[in-house]
Amino acid sequence: MTDTPVIQLVDVTKTYHLESGDFTALDHVSLEILENDFVAIMGPSGSGKSTMMNQLGILDVPSSGKLYIDGKDVAMLSSLERTHMRRDTIGYIFQKFYLIPLLSAYENVEYPLILKYKKRDTTGKASALLEAVGIDKDMSAHRPTQLSGGQQQRVAIARALVNDPKILLCDEPTGNLDSRTGFQIMDILCGLHREGKTVIIVTHDPNIAEYAHRTIRLVDGRVAES
Amino acid sequence: MMKGDIFFNLSVRSVRLNFLRSMLAAIGIVIGVVAISSMGMLGTNMQLEVKEQLSATANTIVISSDTVRMGPPGFNPSSSSASGVTKTELTKITSVVGTNGTVIPIYSTTGEFTINSVAGRGEIYGIDPGDIGKFLTLNQTYGNGTTEIGTGEVLVGSELAQEFNLKVGTRIRIGSFDSTSRPELRIAGVLQSRGTVADGVSTDNAVVVNSNWYTDQYGGKNEWTQVNVIVKDTDNISDIESAINDKVNTNAKTPAVRITDASSQLATETSTLSTVTTFIMAIGGISLLVAAVSIFNVMMMSVSERIQEIGILLSIGTEKGEVRRMFMYEAFILGLLGAGIGGAASLVIGYSVVDAMIGTTAYFFQPASILYVPAAMLIGVVVCVISGVYPAWRASNMDPIDALRSE
Repeated sequence: MTDTPVIQLVDVTKTYHLESGDFTALDHVSLEILENDFVAIMGPSGSGKSTMMNQLGILDVPSSGKLYIDGKDVAMLSSLERTHMRRDTIGYIFQKFYLIPLLSAYENVEYPLILKYKKRDTTGKASALLEAVGIDKDMSAHRPTQLSGGQQQRVAIARALVNDPKILLCDEPTGNLDSRTGFQIMDILCGLHREGKTVIIVTHDPNIAEYAHRTIRLVDGRVAES
Repeated sequence: MMKGDIFFNLSVRSVRLNFLRSMLAAIGIVIGVVAISSMGMLGTNMQLEVKEQLSATANTIVISSDTVRMGPPGFNPSSSSASGVTKTELTKITSVVGTNGTVIPIYSTTGEFTINSVAGRGEIYGIDPGDIGKFLTLNQTYGNGTTEIGTGEVLVGSELAQEFNLKVGTRIRIGSFDSTSRPELRIAGVLQSRGTVADGVSTDNAVVVNSNWYTDQYGGKNEWTQVNVIVKDTDNISDIESAINDKVNTNAKTPAVRITDASSQLATETSTLSTVTTFIMAIGGISLLVAAVSIFNVMMMSVSERIQEIGILLSIGTEKGEVRRMFMYEAFILGLLGAGIGGAASLVIGYSVVDAMIGTTAYFFQPASILYVPAAMLIGVVVCVISGVYPAWRASNMDPIDALRSE
């Protein structure tokens, strides 16, 4: 782990304007996540975990405060620059896998490469990653619906890694898997952390949080413990 | 390039996944393309047919006495226009035309003739031998003829020659069968077939005699049935016509002569035909409008069924423009499917319609006609693409968080 913060939140507040009144999902949150950190974000429902994930994933911008990802102030980026950052700097792993149903497992992994280089993959990187997460050639020709949950999550991890992002954002990565498969997935994530990735996991499960080096607890939009 | 494009592949797969729905929407485009192109082709083929028939004499102005305006029965017109174009009028016409054309005065009447003791009836034209060659040509397969006919000679039309097995040198008697005076003339040539013409000289079933012989036989010297003006440059035709009209028809209420030409006839017919064609094509266009609505509907369904997928695409770094492109491709594929099938169907249906309605498909593959197929196909594709603009825009502007959350 280095001392360079790859993610930095300075007094970040996120307020949603609802018909029933304003709702503050993140309330003056400040924290730093260093490069090659392994962080678990925990908290009860409604504590602001998802809002935090959306901020870290640059799917949303803070209402106030500063958010720096890889040294860049997210609020100052254009919509296109944020899109490119999602593509190049962050790898997402979702609870529901979120693979593209019309594409095969292989094409799902190849997809971010095509987005980045505007051409099909000729380097063999997509195949190599699929093999590394335990998806063989036969399986990689299948559509997501033809794969088990564990297999789909492996494909999703390969997809998240293919553009070599600094940050891996994992939103309940084992939430839809049986515990044995869940641990296998966690082993893969631990391996990636060892290889130098910054891993951030949102989870309810204390067993999963134990893998992390640091746990951030959110309560009512505030950091209760870090 | 498009083939390797992952967004194009995604669109193809989406269309394939919802094949029935996509095809039903594309059928609207098929119908629209068929309607527009077959109607367009039908109209154009009619125009080409008429044009072809009239074009041979498109450079000719026909001036005849205005018999229509002779007045009520018993009314004796003060001018002599009723019995033909007069010498004075001819002089005026000649001076107006000058070097811009050739003036050919023509006598004509319906008469009887006898060939090999078989009687016939047809038009008899009396034309100055020097003028005949200016607009009539001979078919030399019937023997070496000449248009420079003397008073004892005659030219016969192609159909007449064929029917009575005539050739140069054969004799023909002109005059009614029971008449005592039935002069015998020598056939000096057989005329080329002319078909439908707009210059008033239909020679296929007629005979052409020397104008001097004609007036000796029928009288009416210097009272021509019609005067044809063959202009050098068809662009000047209307200028010459109005000049003649100004000079000869001095009294606007009782014009002495009527002036017509193939182009005005053609223009009238073409304009009528093209109005009708446009009208029918517009009706065909309505079907494309209906098709546009159904394409729009299908595209909106495709977008709303794939909200979560759009959310995934956007959240992992797909640009808005790329999402937009994916849906525009989908609309384009639907358009291409519809237009492709429509284009093929147009060829078959259009050909049958033209054959049934006009009786000939001689002009079907001419550019002016066949171009309606690609044009209608293009319109079909454009309509589809336009219908896809809003759904594509909507898809690309979704909030990825909301889109991901939708089930």
